[in-house]
Amino acid sequence: MREWAQGISFPVLVDRDHLLAELYAVSNVPTVVWIDADGSIARPNAAEVGTDMFVDFTGVTPDAHMDQVREWVRQGTVPDDAEHEVDDLSDDEVTARLAFRLAVHRRRDGDAEAAAAWFARAAALAPMDFTIRRAAMPLQDVDPFGEAFFELFGAWREAGSPYHGVPRG
Amino acid sequence: MPKLKVLTQNPAEPGAVLEIDGAPSDGRVLTDHAGVTAALGWEMKPEGLCRGDVCVPVRDPAAVVTDDGIDLTAVAGLLGMSTLVDEEAGVVAVSAPAGDRRAALVGRQAPNFVLPDLDGDLHSLEQFKDRKRLLIAFASW
Repeated sequence: MREWAQGISFPVLVDRDHLLAELYAVSNVPTVVWIDADGSIARPNAAEVGTDMFVDFTGVTPDAHMDQVREWVRQGTVPDDAEHEVDDLSDDEVTARLAFRLAVHRRRDGDAEAAAAWFARAAALAPMDFTIRRAAMPLQDVDPFGEAFFELFGAWREAGSPYHGVPRG
Repeated sequence: MPKLKVLTQNPAEPGAVLEIDGAPSDGRVLTDHAGVTAALGWEMKPEGLCRGDVCVPVRDPAAVVTDDGIDLTAVAGLLGMSTLVDEEAGVVAVSAPAGDRRAALVGRQAPNFVLPDLDGDLHSLEQFKDRKRLLIAFASW
């Protein structure tokens, strides 16, 4: 994991138990939140990227967002979509997060079978949540860039790209 | 009472796994006063549920305190926390308070959290207060 933090001067933190997925309703990554100096949220959850790495796949480039961030930092202006109110998690999505944590706990204890049952329960409760579905892939030796991911991505697009955050126009 | 593990989601104490006296019972968890305090961070007192100087009244204490113990699931519910029990393993997972999340989504106040860096040193959002902050959730997968 260290290679991802090489040469970076700001703190890179490890959210092993998906705290942000519960506190901020993060449902996919990358998700970016702008927080003002007084602790208020200037622009809520939005899917923004830092590099061109996946531009062919996502169609999202970092440039527009970085320009907006610079304007916010320098002038305090925010884009219109900053007003968006992020949908709260449903009860099922909260329970899915608990099931995911139980799965991770059982996996750490070395019980892959029990973990699989909890991962399946979490997936059934929040089938379109990447912090559940895609995050479970590498923990179950499934390639998170492989067939299972593309299947999930297709189903998610089919469902109207549900996301807890600013919708992409 | 037998022992029960609690997977907490306390924003100030990431990933804490506690052990309390308690037992699963029909998808719920029964525990004692010490178990409630440890698992939820709130103490059951005659005046209600208290944390520090703050107390919230419990409208129907008889519904959560039974002869067999205190219903941890019900008490958590009063605080906006969900629970899920793994009866086989004797583990209960407790969610972050829904109120903290609503403060973020509706009230637009960024809830504080504490998380470790790659060396295990803890950092908080508050540590950078009075500055604009870009919070980026990403995964290396």
